[in-house]
Amino acid sequence: MKKTISFSKIAIHGLIIVYIIFLLFPLLWVVASSFKPTQEIYSGSPTIFPQQISFDHYLSVINGQQIFRSMWNSFVVGVVSTLIVVLIAVPSAYAMVRYQSKVNNAILGWILVSQIFPVILVMIPLYVLLRYIGLTDSLTGLTLIYVVWSLPFVLWIMHGYVKSIPMELEEAAVLDGATRTQVIFKVLMPLLLPAIGASALFAFISAWNEFFFALVLMKSPALATLQVELARYTGMEGQARTGPLAAASVIATLPSIVLFIFMRKWLTKGLVSGALKG
Amino acid sequence: MMKRNIFIISFLLIGSALIYFTLRKNDDHKNPPLRFVSLAWQEGAIATNRSIVNEWNATHPNMQVEYIQGTWNSAHDYLVTTFETGDVPDIFHYESSVIIDYAMRGYLTDLSPYISPEMKSDILDVAWATVTRPNGEVGGIPFLIESLVVLYNKSLLEKEGIVPPTREHPWTWDDLQATARKMTKDTNGDGVIDQYGVGFGLRNSANIIMNTSISFGGSFFKKEGNYYVVKVNNEEKKLLQTIVDMLYKDKSASPASIGETGAGMIPGFFSGRYAMLVSIGSWGRQQIVENAPKEFRWGVMPPIKAQTQMYGASTQTLSVPKKSKRAKEAMMFIDFMLSSKNTARLALNDWMIPARKSCLSMPEFQDTLGGWDITCSAVSTLDVGPWLGAPGYVEWKSRVANPVLQELFAGRLSVDEAAYRIEHESNIVLSRYKKHGEVW
Repeated sequence: MKKTISFSKIAIHGLIIVYIIFLLFPLLWVVASSFKPTQEIYSGSPTIFPQQISFDHYLSVINGQQIFRSMWNSFVVGVVSTLIVVLIAVPSAYAMVRYQSKVNNAILGWILVSQIFPVILVMIPLYVLLRYIGLTDSLTGLTLIYVVWSLPFVLWIMHGYVKSIPMELEEAAVLDGATRTQVIFKVLMPLLLPAIGASALFAFISAWNEFFFALVLMKSPALATLQVELARYTGMEGQARTGPLAAASVIATLPSIVLFIFMRKWLTKGLVSGALKG
Repeated sequence: MMKRNIFIISFLLIGSALIYFTLRKNDDHKNPPLRFVSLAWQEGAIATNRSIVNEWNATHPNMQVEYIQGTWNSAHDYLVTTFETGDVPDIFHYESSVIIDYAMRGYLTDLSPYISPEMKSDILDVAWATVTRPNGEVGGIPFLIESLVVLYNKSLLEKEGIVPPTREHPWTWDDLQATARKMTKDTNGDGVIDQYGVGFGLRNSANIIMNTSISFGGSFFKKEGNYYVVKVNNEEKKLLQTIVDMLYKDKSASPASIGETGAGMIPGFFSGRYAMLVSIGSWGRQQIVENAPKEFRWGVMPPIKAQTQMYGASTQTLSVPKKSKRAKEAMMFIDFMLSSKNTARLALNDWMIPARKSCLSMPEFQDTLGGWDITCSAVSTLDVGPWLGAPGYVEWKSRVANPVLQELFAGRLSVDEAAYRIEHESNIVLSRYKKHGEVW
């Protein structure tokens, strides 16, 4: 019996390792390509690891295009939109759970329906609206779009999470003499932190990776975001400047990876709690 | 109380940031420059474009041009959104097959009144034909000609004692097939073929097939009255059958051709896996010059002859959207950007044929190095297919031609089945345009 368990454990771990290799391979390939000289990238017999380490592609990216400015634009838009989304979603989710009204279900339904619309369908009306209020070609306009785009999903996650917190906890705090503010900040907030972290991470990564809105809304080269900048390394008929594109992609991925490492516990806990108990 | 203050301060900070960004943007746009969206993407081409824009800006302080880097993959969605919303760039770079579609949909300024006699006479007629409607409207100024070339590995051909074709003695498709069979072999004796005579890039092969069909006497699109219909006759079938035979009958074309683009075949060309790359864009030469191993020796073949040596061509263009309020100024910039000298700079950096006759006589374009001489001499064998004037062609290419051709070359359809599917599905797509009354 013991042997069977050991074998199944080994098999499971083996499968997990294979799966991780499968997931990591594209990333490894991109990192390796970013350090290969161009001739090695185009070699007919490709190798996983570079035969010769070259920093030329990184230098080309750093000197040639506006990678850091575009990263800064993406960062500003990502952080501001995330803050706004969280500030709106947390009290909204709390209100929807704790103050039952007839429109709650309609709101939840609308949140789901809003996820159905493809970007291309809403692009032109959104553009016209933003132009009317003078917010095209501005990071403010893009931030507002990202807020609107991420808010429904974040609200859904927060709604599920708030619902999973027993009302009795708040009632007990009130019985102990806590004010509503104290209940919210001393009882609820510590419990909500994992979900807030996960939602914030989701909102930030959505904004960081978004391409089409940024492409269409931002006209000035100085306002281009990271994803738009990366697309400029690709050309017609499947061609690409592979080396610089790989180097730029590695640079572009770093902030997300760092953020993910710091917040991964919140992400899994927040998502799972919201999903299961909502 | 303190918590409430934190909330209020946060909202004020965010509000201030929003107002700051909005005001800053408005300040920046008091005297807007002309906006030029370029699709140049190679380092050299970007540098040349920027350099020309800088030269213009230095001499035109009151009419500055802002260089905006576009992307090929998203150019269509980007442009259509700007056309529909009205917030258009003043000048944009694209290709003739799409430009024609935009012109029909009324998105573009007719540039014919603005074209100088010098430009009119110096640009090749075949290039003008790619952007001119039957009523004389011009949707864009062509400056680079995209053509298909055949590249070959000199060392491998020499090893087999094969003499490459010359302009005076071009190969026929039969010659090409015979050579491809000879070059296909198992070089290390392990029972597996490791050197193929030919590599194609057939992943999205509609462009290749359409342009090559002209040399077989076909064209797919035929005019019936005011409208176009798609017919796959014996000429078109012969071309399809030739490629299918090379893939499956004599197996002289690498099976990797089926799922790869021309660019994706280049590493295999370097390693000697394919002796010849057939129907790759002339830009492919740049990849070879810049990335091939030092010992790699290669050449360009003149167009392969079927019934004729004529091949379809398309052009890269500069256009002005109809909703641009500064068409005259935009055309002044285009005139400067596409002068003979600048067109030559752009063509050399993009490794394509310049659309101006005066450029073709420059020594750079008659150089044997890089295959410029053969590539540019093929100008006399270029023609414009009727599909360039067909309403719905762009949609047809992506919804009918590419998917059906993929199935054909993957061996899931016979040539007759593919021909039936192309004709049948084409009429579904094109009839919608017919219903809207769109005529070329």
